[in-house]
Amino acid sequence: MSTNEEHFHWPPSDPKVVKDELISSTKRGGGFIKKSIWVLSILSILGIVGLLGKLFLESDDQTQWGYIAAVLAFILSTTSGAPMVAVAPLIAKANWARPISRIAHIIGVVGIINIIIMIPLLWVLPPLIVDGARRRSIWFEAPNYSPHFWDTLSLIMLAIVGIALLYSSALPDFATIRDNSNGVKQRIAKFLAHGFVGSTVQWSTLRMRIGMMSTFYFFTLIFAHTLISIDLSLSMVPGWRDAIYPMAHAMGGIQGGIASVIIVAWIVRKYFGYENYITINQFWALGRLMFAASLMWIYFFYSAFIVFWYGKSMSDTAWLDLLIRGPMMYVFILGMLFSFIFPWWWLIWNKVRNSVNGPFYGAIIAIFGVFFERVRLYVPAWSVDPSLIHDKWLKVIPKTLFPDIWDVLVLVGAVSSVFLIVIIVSRVVPFIGIWEIQQFNLLAKPVKYIKAHGVRVAKPD
Amino acid sequence: MKSLLGLYIDPNDAANAMDGLKEGGFEVGTFDVLTGTPYPEGAFGEHVPQHRLFRFPAFGAIIGFSLSLFLTTATQLAYPLITGGKPILSIFAMLIIMYEMTMLSAVIFSVIGIIFESRLPNIAPGVYDPRITEGYIGVVISVEDSDLGKAKKILEKSGSEEIKEA
Amino acid sequence: MQQRDNENRLSQEYTNSVLLNGTLQTPRWWPYLVSVLGFFVIIGFVLFGIQIKYGLGVTGLNRPIYWGLYITTFVFWVGISHAGIMISAILRLTQAEWRRPVTRAAEILTIFSLATALVFPLIHAGRTWRIIYWLIPYDVSRGIWPNIRSPLFMDPIAISTYLTGSTLFLFVALLPDLAVLRDRTTGFRKGFYTILALGWRGNPRQWKMQVVGGILLSALMLPIFVSVHSIVSWDFAVTTAVEGWHSTIFAPYFVIGAVHSGVSAVVTMMALMRWGWGWNEFIRPEHFDALARLLTVVATAWLGFTFLELLFALYGLDAPEIALREMQIFQYPWNMLFLTFLLTGYILPVPMWLFKRIRTNIALMFWSSILVNIGMWLERFLIIVPGLARRTPFVFTWEAYSPSWFEWYILFWSFCWVTLLMLIFSRIFPLVPLFEQKESEVFSDDIKIGRATVPTIFREEEE
Repeated sequence: MSTNEEHFHWPPSDPKVVKDELISSTKRGGGFIKKSIWVLSILSILGIVGLLGKLFLESDDQTQWGYIAAVLAFILSTTSGAPMVAVAPLIAKANWARPISRIAHIIGVVGIINIIIMIPLLWVLPPLIVDGARRRSIWFEAPNYSPHFWDTLSLIMLAIVGIALLYSSALPDFATIRDNSNGVKQRIAKFLAHGFVGSTVQWSTLRMRIGMMSTFYFFTLIFAHTLISIDLSLSMVPGWRDAIYPMAHAMGGIQGGIASVIIVAWIVRKYFGYENYITINQFWALGRLMFAASLMWIYFFYSAFIVFWYGKSMSDTAWLDLLIRGPMMYVFILGMLFSFIFPWWWLIWNKVRNSVNGPFYGAIIAIFGVFFERVRLYVPAWSVDPSLIHDKWLKVIPKTLFPDIWDVLVLVGAVSSVFLIVIIVSRVVPFIGIWEIQQFNLLAKPVKYIKAHGVRVAKPD
Repeated sequence: MKSLLGLYIDPNDAANAMDGLKEGGFEVGTFDVLTGTPYPEGAFGEHVPQHRLFRFPAFGAIIGFSLSLFLTTATQLAYPLITGGKPILSIFAMLIIMYEMTMLSAVIFSVIGIIFESRLPNIAPGVYDPRITEGYIGVVISVEDSDLGKAKKILEKSGSEEIKEA
Repeated sequence: MQQRDNENRLSQEYTNSVLLNGTLQTPRWWPYLVSVLGFFVIIGFVLFGIQIKYGLGVTGLNRPIYWGLYITTFVFWVGISHAGIMISAILRLTQAEWRRPVTRAAEILTIFSLATALVFPLIHAGRTWRIIYWLIPYDVSRGIWPNIRSPLFMDPIAISTYLTGSTLFLFVALLPDLAVLRDRTTGFRKGFYTILALGWRGNPRQWKMQVVGGILLSALMLPIFVSVHSIVSWDFAVTTAVEGWHSTIFAPYFVIGAVHSGVSAVVTMMALMRWGWGWNEFIRPEHFDALARLLTVVATAWLGFTFLELLFALYGLDAPEIALREMQIFQYPWNMLFLTFLLTGYILPVPMWLFKRIRTNIALMFWSSILVNIGMWLERFLIIVPGLARRTPFVFTWEAYSPSWFEWYILFWSFCWVTLLMLIFSRIFPLVPLFEQKESEVFSDDIKIGRATVPTIFREEEE
């Protein structure tokens, strides 16, 4: 390696080396991966058992489903926002995200789990007309089961667009695998590559497709967050009118998405041996994003809080009682600590952000924060006595509800399924985009400016 | 002590002059490069300055936070009037004022820090040429009278357009 | 004078002479425009004096519409001020090269629009001097301190913080250009610039502080920028007394609206700078292209927030709130204002900006940016006034609001005032940062990839 490449953390410049190293990610892991698949499969099945147990034993009691809804929102918030870590740098034409964009897309595919968890919730979610009267909702005069239909549709759309986005971005890599493997793997890659040979037209169509899918994914993400947050929590509480809530929920989703990308990138780097590709630069940039996300969390929270605190109307006070100082007081404190205070105080230091482990620990803290927040928002909402749904404001604050064994099984199953799906997809799709790294080597080169070390970055657009 | 300023058009010549002065045994802190636009750090082989800029906003933030906490608490306690049904010590309202004053203080101290770390105001700027802001690159050195000739030779050898003395 | 050096880059001498053509020489149109604007500004001050003498009766303000054009314009100018930090800080932190010719003008627009915004509560108060009593923290012989629980007190604190921070940020970034002016002037002007330049020489330490300090100040100003318009929005959102105001979405809604109107104002300004001073080499169609793309994203986010605000206004099924929205959207004259607001704020400009041919057409970008700001002014008007017009459920308190010609003139005055200040600034300091332009020439280069010539940027850190 030249002096410049030694000075910077740089992937190998030889395209053949890049191709061989990255294709092998679909095979790396060996026995550990096999064991993990077994364990995660068993835990995922336990999750299904938990869902079924809940459905057959507690489907007539809406108040017992808060934790299931919280798990749905938690998985939605920690995985669906991940592709945004790839989409935003794509729009900004930032090259730092190239090694982790595929990881972000793979995590986005996990949306399938949300659909599975949603199915039993559809049984329990009340229709628009309750006790002969139409309850408050964003669906106004729409047909009776609109929330059920549109919420499920939004999750299905999110999963489909997530898969389409992954497929679009991985298409050239399928062609590379097709040309460099044999047997079943080659046949699968040939089918997925769909005749991609790297012609000029195919590359420009691919760029357009990725751009369109990315934009479409972003709008679908906001649509899903808006509907799930409103229909599965806000509209379950009489008098809870909070216009910022869907955006705050989406912001939490982005925070969770960034955190999950950091965690998976750290694991891939450490246990798959990709220190040359996922370098300190990626963690530094992700650490800054994580820091900004924690600031955005407190901004959105405070914007809602200050309006309710000042307003002091009956519904404002009920919001404070239900979600801040009532049954969820300790969860609120934990959520505040793990979503804002700890990540902010940890990531504010340059030395922490400018390291590999610093953002990783920050991400783990943030994931806990997202979890506590989702529990805080969804559990009390579902705990509200359904007979009060037509009231102007919440007059009876429900007691603190603790999870039962089915809730714990569902949580364990859902989290295990996330990792299981990521591992399974990674056997087919390389964790790091081969064509993206090769394009990066074409566009960026370590150079010297008189005596200064630096990087010359081409900006073809 | 005298100061010499060598003016160069080509940045490579200026970098060679810096190398020459280093090899000529002149102490690193005695010579420097002047440019009309920022070049990449280390482009001329110059000594990369260390700074403590980040202490200034931290200090400013502490001052601003303390001052604003005192101001908001003391004013509310001094005349305990209930307004809008809010508590006498309305922490959530105080937070906004405290936040703004903390940030203001951090910004003011940051600017003081930037000016200080830039070693400004520089009342006696020393030898200088206005053509530096026109694109020329200046290599300036402070030397004893005995080394003046040696330094001049190094600057000339590197291809300077002109050498000024002060 | 050599226009390009041996490596085909614009020479620093040429950059200096072109970008200082407005500062070191007087453009022919400048004295005429300044005189006209000055005349209008003086009339505005006279009218302000008349209002102080005869009271707020000269305006159309009356029970229950206590906040009208003045407060609308106040919020509007605070919104415009968000351009500076958006362009300067966010684009600096994301290392967007295309920000370079725009940053100084955006920062100046921030400072002057903030200063103008601060004047409007003083005009609106009627008895302007009484504001000093409840704003300045002293209590001698009055027996009371300022009420820190009031958003009306938080407003000036936030705006002053933003104004002070922006001014200091501008000054720090001006230092290298002050050195250029020091080196190119004589006499009194040279003395003036010498003092302001603080002895700047351009050694590596000073340049490093510019870079590091610029990033630090950008990072500090960003949270302030978000907080300012959020606090202004809480003037409205924290009260339950007025229909349509008590909404949690106001803070980010106002901020995104401010970015929308502020960046549009920057587009307006850039077009005028290019036409007025002939800076065609420095303010190019690709800058308008980049700004239009940014505006498309921001405008779409803004539309999303507008939709959510309206959705949740109706969600509560609150009869007075629904009645207010029906009035706003369906009843004359509010329906015409609402339609104009939607058309000018989003429906007309944004679909235009989807086409590169329009994004790179400077005249079309100029007119579309003006449309946006008409829409954004109307947005603030539609938030503030209809709610007050139907403030109580008692029909006998309902009133229509007809702004007097006083108020319309003061609105016009504010535009003349900001423009005048910017023109005066342009004669003293350069509107385009010289060192940023020169830096881009140093750091950029063209390379060949195959047969294509591709522009490149040298980055000191790893990409």
